[in-house]
Amino acid sequence: MSSKKRRCRHCPSRASNQVMSCRSIGVRCCFLFAALSSLLTGCDPAGDQQLDNATIAIVIPYRPGGGFDRTVRAFAPYFARQLGAGVTVLPENVPGAGGRRGAAKVYRARPDGTTLGIFNLPGFVLPEVLGEKVDYDLRELSWIGRLESQDYVLLISAASELQNLDDVRAADEISFLSTGYGSSVLAATQIIAERLALTDKSPIYLAGYAGTADYLVGLIRGDGNVAVGPVSTSLKYIESGDLRPLAVTGDGSSLPGVPTFTELGFADLAALDLQRSIAGPPGLDAELLTTLREAFLRAVADPEFIATARNARLDLSPLAGAATAAEIEESFTFYETFKTNLKNPNAL
Amino acid sequence: MPDSLFVAADYLSQGANLGYLVLGVAVGIVFGSIPGLGGATAIALLLPLTFGMEPDQAVILMGGIMGAVSIGGSVSAILLNTPGTAPNAATCIDGYPLTRQGKAGLAIGAAATASSIGGIISLGILVAVLPVARTIVLWFGPPAFFMLAVLGLTSLTVASGNLLRGLIAACIGLFFGFVGYDDIGGTARYTIGIDFLWDGISIVPLLIGLFAIAEMMNLYRTGGPISASDDGDTVKVVGTMDGVRSVFANLRTLISGSAIGTVIGLVPGVGGTVASFLSYSFAAQTSKNNENFGSGDIRGVIAPEAANNAKDGGALIPTLAFGIPGSAEMAIFLGVLILHGIDPGPMLLIERESTIFMLILALLVATLISGGVILTSARHLARIAHIDSMLLIPCVITVSFVGAYALHGSIGDVFIAAFFGMLGFVMIRFDYPRITLVIAFVLSGLMERNFIQSMIMFEGDWRRFFGDTTTLVLFLLTLCALLIPIVNRVRTRRSTR
Repeated sequence: MSSKKRRCRHCPSRASNQVMSCRSIGVRCCFLFAALSSLLTGCDPAGDQQLDNATIAIVIPYRPGGGFDRTVRAFAPYFARQLGAGVTVLPENVPGAGGRRGAAKVYRARPDGTTLGIFNLPGFVLPEVLGEKVDYDLRELSWIGRLESQDYVLLISAASELQNLDDVRAADEISFLSTGYGSSVLAATQIIAERLALTDKSPIYLAGYAGTADYLVGLIRGDGNVAVGPVSTSLKYIESGDLRPLAVTGDGSSLPGVPTFTELGFADLAALDLQRSIAGPPGLDAELLTTLREAFLRAVADPEFIATARNARLDLSPLAGAATAAEIEESFTFYETFKTNLKNPNAL
Repeated sequence: MPDSLFVAADYLSQGANLGYLVLGVAVGIVFGSIPGLGGATAIALLLPLTFGMEPDQAVILMGGIMGAVSIGGSVSAILLNTPGTAPNAATCIDGYPLTRQGKAGLAIGAAATASSIGGIISLGILVAVLPVARTIVLWFGPPAFFMLAVLGLTSLTVASGNLLRGLIAACIGLFFGFVGYDDIGGTARYTIGIDFLWDGISIVPLLIGLFAIAEMMNLYRTGGPISASDDGDTVKVVGTMDGVRSVFANLRTLISGSAIGTVIGLVPGVGGTVASFLSYSFAAQTSKNNENFGSGDIRGVIAPEAANNAKDGGALIPTLAFGIPGSAEMAIFLGVLILHGIDPGPMLLIERESTIFMLILALLVATLISGGVILTSARHLARIAHIDSMLLIPCVITVSFVGAYALHGSIGDVFIAAFFGMLGFVMIRFDYPRITLVIAFVLSGLMERNFIQSMIMFEGDWRRFFGDTTTLVLFLLTLCALLIPIVNRVRTRRSTR
């Protein structure tokens, strides 16, 4: 994600060969802002009186063991450190209804800063875009900052007869492998299929795999012939030579030697990515929100956290709270464009 | 390979590292024996403790927990008819009748020994198949998974004694297994407007209700202690050593149980519950003089216990080589590995061979230590079966509800446990096999998802199921599972004539 040749979603006019993207500028600004705020508040991390000795729960809307759980558990101690000595930050798993229970818990929480949550984009955007009944509204949440972001890669098996994107587009039968309906991966797959004009071939969507690793192994086994995976999870299968990457989303390739969709002529797929961001309930007091956002920025700039994140293979791509809120708005606009392509391909 | 093994052994034998292992074993036994807690909770709780550790030390601690949990879980299965963890459910079938006959020591001795030796055999098999493990994992696509679920369900229903009641129990299990959001069809089923039910019914509160609570309700009805034997300490002590000996007297059951456990463990996403049930039904159907299975045959304890420890060895392969966890505890263990910078995937077997051996050795030593602990404390543990029901019932019910709540911190799980407690009591009264309900419930998701995926793959042509070799072999095994009891019955009739 740290590529230097990225077209930015915030400023599409920025040329692809410009040295820095808006996102990387954003990241640098985050660090600069964190450093400045540290200077202004002295060496001791700023604690806010409203949060003195508070216990803050970061709601993970899934069961322990997944990527969200890992991210929050790695981040919580560093966030607590930046909020002041008496503050405790605890991960709290609230699984249920495909994450909606946890999201609703954050949405309905008292806006006192003691209940925050981690949200997956576009995972939590999609039900709203598709008009499903949900007990939250992402646009009303108080966004504290983005932790992770990663691009998608289009994959085929190394044993496949197909060699490149043109072969995939020319193939008679396309069978995509993916997780179930409502997942970010299936939505990304459907969007890519639409843009590559593969929907004309009535592709099979072999959805319902339990996780990313499951369908990538299915691709190696030959259950289907094409899949779209988040770059970090797919990397190990690419490095082992089991899977072959054909193209990546984003403005600059996060996989050396692999072209971006933009370079192959599908520029509107550049914005397709997967993000994990932290938010609190709607109506957080402005001062409290600023405290949380500043602590967030200092935590993500903490070299110890960066080392932990690298170790834990987090796709760290910090973004400040206000920019994260703008990103959410853009996600809605982006996915609304593809709304008609996002219906369940296996609906009875 | 030998170098890595010695490096791992040397590292494990160092003072602090051995200490972490013992800590893991202690936590594993306690969490395993309390219904509802289990290995996943133990690993999640100890996770923050590993932040300051070296990655290999974290692996050792977690190996200690995983090696000990299933042995701990067998104790409550035998004494209280309440599996501490889901894979121990099959141990209830013969373990609890033995307790009622005053032979709790015999059952615990056999369970601890079978678990320990099963674990060792499995690790031996694992080391041998490590070079071809990848191929085995790749044999199992959606059609093979579906047929494996059919095999599991068929064997258990056939083994349940009364076929009609077995089928009814299986249908009830399948029905409850279908509750929740179907992410292929994109619909919520039988959720009656309750968000909590979107993710389906969790296996742990179901087991707690069906076994612990139902059993306590039944005990309240019958009164007195669990054990029918008035005999005191002598029976139990002698029984424990008899239990150890019985494992060596039934080597065939032990080896077949361990082999089934390892192979099922290798198949990603199937888990130990299926392994122990399949092992049990294989033993019940293929053993000579099998009329006592279900009413207190020691082989009915040896087979599932050998399998449920053996499956841990097998389950390491899909978890480590592909990052696909076979169970909840493996999923959290996967998180621990990643947090420590060990990224499970195809390269791990090559890049971090010593870490894998460290885990294998930790599991092995944990199995042996926990087996030893259970054996030496069996005499005291068996006293539980002699406690008066008026004291035992409130304690077990309280622990059961707390366990159900502790799983996800959700009151919904407590209601689920209470509901299945009542259902379990009705099933006891009318003699319906609860175990068949459990296995159908466990297999329902696997069966349905893979059936639908197979039909999508085959574009609706079911005949293509038989084009896949693994599926065909599993189909033939399913036919065998159906035919063996008929053949046995015909043989018995002929011999009585």
